[in-house]
Amino acid sequence: MARLLVQLKLRLLRNALRSSTRAKASFALSTIFAGLVAVGTFTGLALLRGQSTSVDVTAVVFTLFAFGWLMLPLIAFGLDGTLDPATLALYPLRTRPLAVGLLAASATGAWPLANLLGLLGVTVGLASGALGLLTALVAVVLEVLFCITLARFVTTSMAGLLRSRRGKDLAAFLFIPLFALYEVFTQVVPRLAANGKLTTSSFGGVDSWLRWLPPGLAAHAIQDASTGHAGTALLRLALLAAIIIVLGWLWIRALSHALVTADTSTQSSQVRGGKLPLARYGLRGTVAARFWIYQRRDPTALIFWGINAVIMMAVSVSAILGRNPHPGILILSAVFGAAFVGIFHANAVGWTGPPFVLDAMALSNRRTLRAYLSGQNVVIAVIAVPLLTAISFGLALLANFPAYGFLGMAVDLAGIGAALALGNLFTVTMPFPIEKRAGSPIRTTAAGYTSYGVAGTFGNLFGVGLAVAPVIVAIVLTGHAPAAVRMPILVLCAAGYGLLLAWIGVRIAARAAEHKLPELCQVAIRSKL
Amino acid sequence: MREPAIAVHELRKSFGAKQAVAGIDLEIAAGSFAGLVGPNGAGKTTSLSMMTGLLRPDGGRVLIDGLDVWADPAAAKAIIGVVPAEAQLFERLSGEELLEYAGRLRGLPVAEARGRAGQLLDVLDLTTDAKRLVADYSTGMRKKAALGCALIHNPSVLFLDEPLEGVDPVSADVIRQLLTRFTGSGSTVLFSSHVMELVEQVCDHVSIIDKGHIVATGTTDQVRGGKTLQRAFIDLVGSRAGEGEGLSWLGSSSN
Repeated sequence: MARLLVQLKLRLLRNALRSSTRAKASFALSTIFAGLVAVGTFTGLALLRGQSTSVDVTAVVFTLFAFGWLMLPLIAFGLDGTLDPATLALYPLRTRPLAVGLLAASATGAWPLANLLGLLGVTVGLASGALGLLTALVAVVLEVLFCITLARFVTTSMAGLLRSRRGKDLAAFLFIPLFALYEVFTQVVPRLAANGKLTTSSFGGVDSWLRWLPPGLAAHAIQDASTGHAGTALLRLALLAAIIIVLGWLWIRALSHALVTADTSTQSSQVRGGKLPLARYGLRGTVAARFWIYQRRDPTALIFWGINAVIMMAVSVSAILGRNPHPGILILSAVFGAAFVGIFHANAVGWTGPPFVLDAMALSNRRTLRAYLSGQNVVIAVIAVPLLTAISFGLALLANFPAYGFLGMAVDLAGIGAALALGNLFTVTMPFPIEKRAGSPIRTTAAGYTSYGVAGTFGNLFGVGLAVAPVIVAIVLTGHAPAAVRMPILVLCAAGYGLLLAWIGVRIAARAAEHKLPELCQVAIRSKL
Repeated sequence: MREPAIAVHELRKSFGAKQAVAGIDLEIAAGSFAGLVGPNGAGKTTSLSMMTGLLRPDGGRVLIDGLDVWADPAAAKAIIGVVPAEAQLFERLSGEELLEYAGRLRGLPVAEARGRAGQLLDVLDLTTDAKRLVADYSTGMRKKAALGCALIHNPSVLFLDEPLEGVDPVSADVIRQLLTRFTGSGSTVLFSSHVMELVEQVCDHVSIIDKGHIVATGTTDQVRGGKTLQRAFIDLVGSRAGEGEGLSWLGSSSN
């Protein structure tokens, strides 16, 4: 059974590779990235040799890997056919051999191997002596086994939920913290390290509680064995092995249960209210009502706003944590925040997908198209203006440049207007279908339309940058004016300017879309959401 | 003589080298319950999409109650209802919100849209699920909700693409009854289907399309010519089934 399931996993990987050039590129990148992670982790752990906090940092790294194993399968649930027990439920398989097979399938692939090789850095960084080395090898194997068993247990226990609509929504939401974590590692950690605010000694003492978690047990067993405490090391490894056995037993129980249990998709809740708000305000209000509901209920919309906020914060990191922070970064953060509002709404038709046909049957002329586009824009503005403004003020306070909150707000307001205009223009001139692989919460540009997606991204970035240039020039030129006069005038003028840009955008986009509705419908129909 | 509800002249569409619809002509009288049948890839969905203004044809004309769909799309769209094949709807709206949304999009006043939405949900047996998200609906419920959206503005012509595909018998009966009632009032239905028994039961007019050509059209009795519609259809488009020589092991007489 183990051999069969490992073969299935390899076949799935091979077939994914054959499916498209994008899949090949994605596989190659993923493998290269896994290799880099292995080399980086190995080197990082090896460099801890001789440092007083080496066991603390090792415990943190081991815990982070376990966290990664816990989170990523939840997102990749539908992508890996071996993760969902329902795919195997039809076959006459006994639970135990099936469990061994699934475990072996989990350990197959570039990432588990990278995990194992990377963590072996402890053989250089933490272990010393023959006993320490031997313990390190056993501890790393047990750590990887713990990660795999934990991931299997959680995904199997949640299989029913993850297969359901609500489970997929929840999995999609994981993108926001994962994206934030990525930004922390790429933006915050390097700057803190460069400033000397983050050193290995920063981790001193963190293992006072991490040492009792399974990854901490593995790290401390290596240290104990290396410092001559063989008995304690053995006890720790035995405890870790016992935890893995208990987890494995729980997983097998969950697997037996999951093989004969329906998913929870039929247990849906009812929505409150049930009437469309704003619907009495004509077509514009009706479209705004639907779009507003989607901003609350559609995970994609919430993810967009979450990522938008993270991007603004990430751009400002150097202003907050840098050695010589420049307040101009806060303005740049506002430009990026506004640009991403445009980027995320630059393909409204593709993101709406086939239901756009229902809208299109009611859109017959320029007037109705203006109402349609502006209805969506009102909702975006109602969310973007307070969100971006609050972030600008928050970042300005954190960076100790409170006045820049107002300047950031001025750029936000003008930028949001520009983003709405550009979003509408790209929606009607360069729409493209969106597609989603079965089971995956990730939606991407359909094959063959990557250039459209890239054009929308860079078009919005440069377009918004260009559109807010007059506001930035005004900020620079009025630098010596009294703040009490300068700030309100700048904010009001920027708001008016943004409104004008949005209004022009709606009018031009409606004119462009008037004779393109059938083509827009075809793009929408080809979207697979 | 009363003008046809649907009049199609020389309608053509190609996708690259493939000719999906090769200049079809069709006339459906007002009040008809008409079926467009054909094998997979015959051009049914492409034809319906062009008739409803969703796909621009390479040539030809489509008149709905005398209004040219491609010359005056606004006027034509106002009098038609469409139920697409996959019934992909706004999934994050509840059934009630969806129907009200469809009514408001079609310009109905709020009270009227809400009233009609409630009545349609009732007739379509969706009242108890009215506050559930469409994302949690079954295929049959989605088809019924899509039908409600297409009917809420009381169109004079209704187009349905595979309306009963994947629908349970109870829901299918609800849809069939509603459509029969709709045509009984003088409105027109044109739907595509693979299910010959269904077409034979409910349609008074049938057109058979194959490889982008209309190969037969007329009243159901004329098209079937004394045979079952299934037999007439197979005779016209040809059987494509293999003999299955390679399956000698299949069946209880073999091991």
